[in-house]
Amino acid sequence: MREVDWGFAHELEDIAGQVAICGVGEADHTSASGRTAVEVAGQAIERALADAGLAPADVDGVMHVPSFADAFDAAAFRDYFGTSHDMWESDRGGGMVWAGTALHDAAQALQDGKATCIVNSFAVAWATQRGSMVGGPGQSHAQELFKQNLEVPFGWFPQPVYFATIARRHMHEYGTTQAQLGAVAVTLRRHANLTPSVVMRDRPLSLYAFMASPTFADPFRKEDCCLISAGAGAYVMTTPARARDLRTTPVEVAGVGLGSSTTGTHWAQQRKFCSTPQVFAAPGGLAMAGIKPADVDVLACYDPFTIHSVMQVEDMGFCPKGDGGPFAEAGSLAFDSGVLPYNTHGGLLSHAYVLGIAHVVEVVRQLRGECGERQVPNAEIGVYGGYTGPQASTLVLRRG
Amino acid sequence: MSMRDEFPLPDTDWEPAREFWAGAARHELVIPRCDACGAWCWYPRTKCRQCGDTAFTWASVSGRGRLFSWTVVRHPFLPQFSEMVPYATGLVALEEEAAVRLATRLVDCDVDALAFDQPVEVVFRDLSFPGIGRTVAAPFFRPV
Repeated sequence: MREVDWGFAHELEDIAGQVAICGVGEADHTSASGRTAVEVAGQAIERALADAGLAPADVDGVMHVPSFADAFDAAAFRDYFGTSHDMWESDRGGGMVWAGTALHDAAQALQDGKATCIVNSFAVAWATQRGSMVGGPGQSHAQELFKQNLEVPFGWFPQPVYFATIARRHMHEYGTTQAQLGAVAVTLRRHANLTPSVVMRDRPLSLYAFMASPTFADPFRKEDCCLISAGAGAYVMTTPARARDLRTTPVEVAGVGLGSSTTGTHWAQQRKFCSTPQVFAAPGGLAMAGIKPADVDVLACYDPFTIHSVMQVEDMGFCPKGDGGPFAEAGSLAFDSGVLPYNTHGGLLSHAYVLGIAHVVEVVRQLRGECGERQVPNAEIGVYGGYTGPQASTLVLRRG
Repeated sequence: MSMRDEFPLPDTDWEPAREFWAGAARHELVIPRCDACGAWCWYPRTKCRQCGDTAFTWASVSGRGRLFSWTVVRHPFLPQFSEMVPYATGLVALEEEAAVRLATRLVDCDVDALAFDQPVEVVFRDLSFPGIGRTVAAPFFRPV
């Protein structure tokens, strides 16, 4: 590991061209539905397998994330699909940062012969569980003891409050405006309006309406913030050679990068207050793929608030630091901008709150040319920027 | 998992910040300082961020600082704050070490007239929440 200022890049073994995504699926994205996370994940996996033309018994590896309730692990897989076969299992999967890095672990598992076909999924049923912070994003942060004892008592909580504080400092340091944040929200809503089966499909948003709505934690308005919904995404991974024999256009992993901050979820103490660990993740991911930011045809970043889109676009090198606001305001993030098509499904703000796994699904669909009205012409290289706060990942995908 | 009964009051017995709250009860702002190199280390940690040493002394600071950034909260995200909105909460960078940023609430001010890097000073007030009998003295900040 390389210690750089307020964070560092993890050194990852080169796995370029060693793993491919051969199937993707999403569950129905809904508001409170009564469904459990396992049921929702199962639906996404079923659809990913159907997309790949594979049967449940063909899957011999399962990745999930244990820090969320009801992980879809091997036992859940067998139970849901009624199989009894042995499976390799890893708890280094799921959404957020891991929706990007799971492919690195999968490549090594494929190489080591631990599995031949691996599914990674992530699901949340938070819309169903929303009442009084049970299981939602606020609760996990409230349980962190430094936050609970040194931030929460002063009302510096939850996420909209501290990320609004970051956004305001970004505005001070770089001249970013509320209308520029609004441009992100409006662009992503336009993308969601062009995407079937997403939460905000039929809810247009104009910049005028955005600016006219009240702030609830300055400078944030409701539309600066992600949705809370119930849903899931899944993707199926195998070797590129095997993927080429399956029914879909294979999408290969060209690079993976991972970066960490040294202050974790304690944003109050993060030295570079208006940056993300993408500063450390992106150079390694792009270098493994042998590409520059200008080579990227479509980008999807984990975007809990508008400011995260601005900061990650900057930190990954798509524009100079501090220029993310004007970049968004110029329309550069639109799917048809010809500049940097970004979160073409609507992102966490307008597609659904499934913590990044649907971002990877969307990049795969763009590279396959399956995105209909919102298709980026001839997209060959796509990037997913994963984020948890303490960590960020950069996943480079290439049409096989 | 359930939260502590007195949430969102701090747990003043929680070891890493026990001295901080004990200081606040005396109306004194104390921050851990590395015995070896003198670096102020916040949040409290087991090893000095600067030199790696593990011995700290909680030392008084002036209580003066600058408003690093803030937000005006107009929607009560937690029900316990519903009678406080709108309130200004944010981070104060201490005069002794700007890298130490205290999360706090800004008081005795027009929340819509705050400015970046404006000088502020500590003022001790009781944290009090509806339905919780106990109060805890805590460092708030106000414009100088």
